Amino acid sequence: MTGSVMSSVRGGGAGRAVRAEWTKLRTLPSTGWLLFALAGITVAVGAAVTGSVDTADCVTPAACEEDTPRLALSGVRLGQIAAIVLGVLAVGGEYATGTITATLAAVPRRGTVLAAKAAVVAGAVAAAGAVGVLAALAVGRGILPRNGFTAAHGYPPLSPLDGATARAAAGTVLYLVLVALLSLGVATALRDTAAATTAVLALLWIVPIVTRLVGDAAWRERLEKVAPMSAGLAVQSTRDLERLPIGPWPGLGVLAGYAAAAMLVGGVLFAVRDA
Amino acid sequence: MTAPGPTAVTPYRSTVQDEARDGFGRLLLAEWTKLRTVPRWTLTLLASVALTVLVALLTAAGAQASGTGKGISDPDRVQIHDLGHFTYQPLAGDGAVVARVTSQGGGGAWAKAGLMVRGSADRATPYAALMVTPGHGVRLQTGYKGDGQGGGTGTAPRWLRLVRSGTTVTGFESADGRDWRRVGSVTLDGLPRTALAGLFVAAPNTAKVQRRFGGETVDSAPSDTRATFDHVSVSPAWPGARWRDRGAPGGPADQGTGGSTQEGGTFTLAGSGDIGHDAFADDVTRVTLTGALIGQAAIVAVAVLFMTAEHRRGMVRTTFAASPRRGRVLAAKAVVVGVASLAAGLVAAFGAMLLAAPLLRAGGLAPPPLSDPAVLRAVLGTAALMGVVAVLGLAVAAIVRRSAPAITIVLLLLLLPQIVATGLPLSAARWLERVTPAAGFAVQHTVDRFDRAIGPWAGFGVLCAYAAVAMLVATWLVRRRDAA
Repeated sequence: MTGSVMSSVRGGGAGRAVRAEWTKLRTLPSTGWLLFALAGITVAVGAAVTGSVDTADCVTPAACEEDTPRLALSGVRLGQIAAIVLGVLAVGGEYATGTITATLAAVPRRGTVLAAKAAVVAGAVAAAGAVGVLAALAVGRGILPRNGFTAAHGYPPLSPLDGATARAAAGTVLYLVLVALLSLGVATALRDTAAATTAVLALLWIVPIVTRLVGDAAWRERLEKVAPMSAGLAVQSTRDLERLPIGPWPGLGVLAGYAAAAMLVGGVLFAVRDA
Repeated sequence: MTAPGPTAVTPYRSTVQDEARDGFGRLLLAEWTKLRTVPRWTLTLLASVALTVLVALLTAAGAQASGTGKGISDPDRVQIHDLGHFTYQPLAGDGAVVARVTSQGGGGAWAKAGLMVRGSADRATPYAALMVTPGHGVRLQTGYKGDGQGGGTGTAPRWLRLVRSGTTVTGFESADGRDWRRVGSVTLDGLPRTALAGLFVAAPNTAKVQRRFGGETVDSAPSDTRATFDHVSVSPAWPGARWRDRGAPGGPADQGTGGSTQEGGTFTLAGSGDIGHDAFADDVTRVTLTGALIGQAAIVAVAVLFMTAEHRRGMVRTTFAASPRRGRVLAAKAVVVGVASLAAGLVAAFGAMLLAAPLLRAGGLAPPPLSDPAVLRAVLGTAALMGVVAVLGLAVAAIVRRSAPAITIVLLLLLLPQIVATGLPLSAARWLERVTPAAGFAVQHTVDRFDRAIGPWAGFGVLCAYAAVAMLVATWLVRRRDAA
């Protein structure tokens, strides 16, 4: 009797932890709003940016060399906020309310708890991100030809089945997932929602601003290679890749490195500290 | 033994009520104590100063004197245009020059055709210019600045008269050459006794925007303008004077568009380029103070936590029990965090300017002088900006009551143009800089650049309006909601 309970806890430990985390995430009212905001902001800002760009200031429409998939997906620059807040609240919220002690009493293996949280957050962000990215591409497909970016000028209609666009779309979803995991890791390490949000926002938004202020071109390029947002969003580029400071996948790899480091540090601190 | 007289025993009265009602001063003291005694917040305010100064040093270290590379060190000379075309005679002592501008073509709404008195034909000498413009009426300009006195809707044909008396130059205009109206007058320090007086044309550079590879580049191109004049006279006439043409030192290589012809009493002048400020000049002050963009993140964090910490720890119930007038509590909090941030901003802005100066000099740039009113406005404005940003942060925190969303919302509002504007067309990016609280950063502008979205004070007003509305909503909600 006791043995069967024990074995079921042990055998299904990871699965149960994931289910428990999923229930916690699902039943928080903020989660729905954040996932909705993630997709909604990505689509709305993408549409606004795409709508404001036309070929009027180009020598010829073809000479614009506009990266239309990147333009249509530019909404994630803002949409990622929702992923950040979701990642931070997934663990920071438990510290704020004190439920972390109950969580750890139920599942004492801290690595399992963190992995389960990561899996649940990643899954939710990936789903909402995919919806947002596909919708942004669809909206861009509708807007772009009206602004002069037609197939005749060398801008084929956006399609998630096209090789480079597919990479940009999939990469953008991965970008959002990695940003959420980065936030989760930072929040686990800092155990405070305000500090974690400020730290992640500063890392993502403020580093590119500082980069722009650096006078030396070589240093600017170096910084763009290592800044998580500018490197990670390189994955959205579909043309003139040789102009990028870092390639699409290596760029996403840089962001993955940040996320992994944050999760690792967060995980180690989580394991060794008192709750 | 006499019975002791009735001693006046003052009945005990609690002083708590009085003190609680004692008002705003005590509230301020209480809130100041709260802010002061959390070491983390003090450190964060210091971090804001450090970040602002650090970015200033970073930008100053990378700054190089742009352009000709001749080591132009005088900012008065570097940020102006002194082109166009000037046809002149010497004018000894007091006197006047009169002409009628009969027609004007090319160069846009700010194309200039009219009269000028200037010290010499050298670049950047003092001048007074009275001009007709197609879109901005009759103007009297000086000091290589825009706008100028006058205005209205007058266009060519127009009579103009420019009178020199000592160091004062006064402009008049007339539709018919009989009824004269005074446009304005300027004082030119250092105007030599024998000055140059004559006709000029000029036109501001146009911005050529080109979009490529998902970004826009803007080049400034001089534009051409021409105008015809008649009834030209300089009095007192210099004996045997001939009309002479001023070249355009440092002007465009193509001198073919500039020149003057004289046929009978009619002068035709053609010129290229402007006399006035350079709308494409680097705004060194603004670049030096850009660190405020980053320093404000720390200010926002402190301001938000100053409010949400009360909610998180339940402290707010104690606070409201001690002073039940919640609106005043919020106001006291706003004043305390605003003034603290203002102080941090003052240190940061002055520190940035003073510490960046040696690095700028090393790069061949003259550090902006704090004695310049525009520079001082930018520096003090940056400090005020920090104060208002803190109030905005506090108000949003009072509305949202949770740190993470509040910080996100405020930083998003303040950094929005920076985050999304990279791929946006200039016009759309300018629009964002006008309507978001980030408009407040316009207070740092000291050069009227071509890409200016909004005036310095107007932009600061936009930020203040956001902060005021947020405070009103916050006050209303704080009064209405349960303290939780």
